[in-house]
Amino acid sequence: MPNRPDLDRFPELRRSWDRRTFLRNAAAGTALAALGGALYRIAGDDLTRKAMAETRADGKPRLPPGQRVLKQLRPMGGAEGDGEARSFKLRVHGLVERPFELDYAALLKLPQVEKEVDVHCVTGWSVLGARWKGVPIATLAEKAGVKSAARHVIFEAAHGYTTNVRLAEALVDRALVTYRLDGRPLSLDHGAPVRGLVPDLYFWKSAKWLTGIKFVAEDEPGYWEVRGYHNHADPWREERYG
Amino acid sequence: MADPAVPPDELGIGRTIGQLLRKRWRAWLRAIHRDVGYCAVGLTMIYALSGLAINHIQDWDPNFTTYEVEKHIAPIGADVPDDAAVATARAALGVGAPRSIYRAGDELHLEYDDKKIVVYGDSGLVVEQGREARFFLRVANWLHYNRGKAAWTYVADTYAVLLLYLATSGLFMIKGKLGLRWRGALLVALGAAVPLGYVILSGGPGAH
Repeated sequence: MPNRPDLDRFPELRRSWDRRTFLRNAAAGTALAALGGALYRIAGDDLTRKAMAETRADGKPRLPPGQRVLKQLRPMGGAEGDGEARSFKLRVHGLVERPFELDYAALLKLPQVEKEVDVHCVTGWSVLGARWKGVPIATLAEKAGVKSAARHVIFEAAHGYTTNVRLAEALVDRALVTYRLDGRPLSLDHGAPVRGLVPDLYFWKSAKWLTGIKFVAEDEPGYWEVRGYHNHADPWREERYG
Repeated sequence: MADPAVPPDELGIGRTIGQLLRKRWRAWLRAIHRDVGYCAVGLTMIYALSGLAINHIQDWDPNFTTYEVEKHIAPIGADVPDDAAVATARAALGVGAPRSIYRAGDELHLEYDDKKIVVYGDSGLVVEQGREARFFLRVANWLHYNRGKAAWTYVADTYAVLLLYLATSGLFMIKGKLGLRWRGALLVALGAAVPLGYVILSGGPGAH
């Protein structure tokens, strides 16, 4: 480091010396703050470390790559529906023998299940072991009589939002139309009154403020899929962007 | 209008606008840069503050402050008529008349303008959920996401063009060692190296 010049003797140097000192201190301060933040994050992230050590029954690591475990879902925005159970309507249609529409009361009368499903947001957070209550999408598909030509499921939501899922992935037993999370109603920012839940795909495939389920033969990329996000969205393959 | 009694050279009228611009282009560039900069202040505040807020959406809700409260009251049987169920719940919770009421299964929903109360009749569990908008950020985020569409798309496009002008004109505002000949070039290279380095190191969008 250069010695400090005699600024009283050479006052013309004061300005540039002061600026140099300021820049050096600012850089050191920024680096220190960044280091402190990183250490705080690493040291405080026991949940992520623990999850990284776990393996699922199918042999995949419980935590997909690039994910960090949070205790609660984060609201990620979106064009909200009105959130009220009394105005909820779910239309099941497309390539089906018996299209139908359900209101909230009718949904509650269908066979209910409660499943533990991990969710993984494309932005890098995951919530593990969330308990979701609802109706399996397979039950709705069976009630509607899905035609053999159907290959994809389009989830429709408030304000025209859509997202596409392969038929087989939408019909697994843990794929639900869900209205309760950890024993509580969904809050508005998490899709109240009813949202889709498609396990093992990034969470944007689980449409909030659900209004319809459409079975189709040809794939129809949805809102995010046509805006650069991956068409499939497998978290273990980090299919974040297309 | 020029005075015919005065020679053109003294008034400078003989010079064309093109000549003037060639000689004083840097001054014009700075003047326009300054005024465009003033115009961009409001939008820059909106986009920058909203960008900071949305970038950290994993760690907080940039639009609302929310709350959820659990309470317990005596169970309300399915055989209790709707009006009586609502009256019982309101009395137990000490809340006013809701905006709307809905009952399905064992759930009784009381909707208010700023909150929702769901009473699970079988267990007596009550969940109250409410939220309040963050005044500035909610509006700024709405604009940033361009959720409203319509004319805002044109505003955002114009702002992007203004930013391009600010960046480009900024390159040529100062000449000499502080300009593109040394310091400016170095800092521009540093600034460009950040995204370039990130893409190279991360593998870019095709990496996954």
